[in-house]
Amino acid sequence: MNHAEGSEPDADVRARLAAIPGVGQLEDRGDALWIAAPELDVEAMARAMTALDCRLATMTGLARDDGETTIIYHYLRRGLAVNFKTATRGGAIASLAPAVRPASWIEREIHDFFGVKFVGHPNLAPLLLPPGLKEGFFRSPEPDPAPSGEP
Amino acid sequence: MPYTIPLGPYHPALEEPYKVSVRCVAETVQQVSVNVGFSFRGIELLVQSREWVPAVTLVERVCGICSNVHAMTFCHAVERLAGIEVPARARYIRTIISELERIHSHLLWAGLAAEYMGFQTLFMEVFALREQVMDLLETISGNRVNYGMNRIGGVNRDLPDAQPIIATLAAMAETLKRVLVPAFLENATTRARMGGVGPLTREQAIDWGVVGPVARASGVEADVRCDHPYLVYQELGFKIVTQQDGDVRARVVVRALELLESIRLAIEALRRIPSGPLRAFEGMPRIPQGEAIALSEAPRGEVFYYVAADGADKPARVKIRTPSFVNIPALEAMTIGQQFGNISLIQASVDPCLSCTDR
Repeated sequence: MNHAEGSEPDADVRARLAAIPGVGQLEDRGDALWIAAPELDVEAMARAMTALDCRLATMTGLARDDGETTIIYHYLRRGLAVNFKTATRGGAIASLAPAVRPASWIEREIHDFFGVKFVGHPNLAPLLLPPGLKEGFFRSPEPDPAPSGEP
Repeated sequence: MPYTIPLGPYHPALEEPYKVSVRCVAETVQQVSVNVGFSFRGIELLVQSREWVPAVTLVERVCGICSNVHAMTFCHAVERLAGIEVPARARYIRTIISELERIHSHLLWAGLAAEYMGFQTLFMEVFALREQVMDLLETISGNRVNYGMNRIGGVNRDLPDAQPIIATLAAMAETLKRVLVPAFLENATTRARMGGVGPLTREQAIDWGVVGPVARASGVEADVRCDHPYLVYQELGFKIVTQQDGDVRARVVVRALELLESIRLAIEALRRIPSGPLRAFEGMPRIPQGEAIALSEAPRGEVFYYVAADGADKPARVKIRTPSFVNIPALEAMTIGQQFGNISLIQASVDPCLSCTDR
């Protein structure tokens, strides 16, 4: 995957991304833009990306040692991929679900896996959580022994 | 008086478990809620305990239909992260397997759609045709499912002689044009059964963020093969298939026409494939610290992988977003206002994969 020919993010796109509250350094890695934004205003980000005709492809959660969760918002449009990397504050972050339909299931999954509280989500019910496990089970999973090859 | 009927998790139209609760007034659907998670296997978590090579084997098990695209997209992300350049012959082989996989997946779906309509003769025709592409995949990889073709840096196996494969695909294209495409596009029964059923407008498709044939059937011109080029699709001159009606029939037409385009792509790749090495290196991969994303167009639409590495011999994090994960929620938009008796057909038209969705 690369930026489609002739469609590298132009100066206008970069300027509009840089104007989102909380956006820090933009890094172009050839295949995608990566934006470190610890204090990102995610609702402003969602509005700006909608205006840029970008679609929320998914979000990735990554457990941090301090108990918080890194959240990466992955946006796509033809020839452009943008990844915003931010983090929860006090285990919570604003929900995009009221404004962005695909965010609903994505946030419910991250809630299941990492226990993140998405503030304002209309229905943060378990989506994939297996019976007997608690939200956040990706943080301290039981060790899974790799197959030994023995019967 | 309104009533609610639960469909599933053991489903009348699908072999995989999920639950759709439908609230109706008379025969008209007013409200829909979908429950998934019955097939959760925790693959994203398990892969963090596998070294890089068995990790490829594990992610290939995300799906039994589009297994290749998962292993391949994972490899793409790792190769980008590590700066590994895949040899040209391997990129062609990956393209060929990807299109054969799409052909078998679309034919599987077309056969099931025919059965849901009660069109048994068409079901038999389609599955007989599908058997030919399954034979090709078995000839190439040794397997009918989970082909094991991908490795980080290239492919595990070379292709056999291309000419018999080209001849089989050309014969399949003729049968498709003569039997299957007219049956889905022109036959009065299929038109009457599917036209106007389960509509999803272009605006709704964008709002719900659907991908793949579901999006293209609603007039959204989106396909990873074109939007974020990978492998050799740019060299082969890829064409996006779209329809405007957004109903079940449009989803059928998109897949039927994509079958012909996939056969063209596979034949073109088989004719152009260069000689050369199959992989960038031998032995175990060494993956440095870093992160990368990769996208592929699976049979059901866009597959997204995020891979992070911390320099160890295992992935630090693998995030998998499958097309069904974003297509299934849009069933709500397709179903409300529809007749209860059409729900199974509408659900089938999305070609939902619960194994993918739940992982």
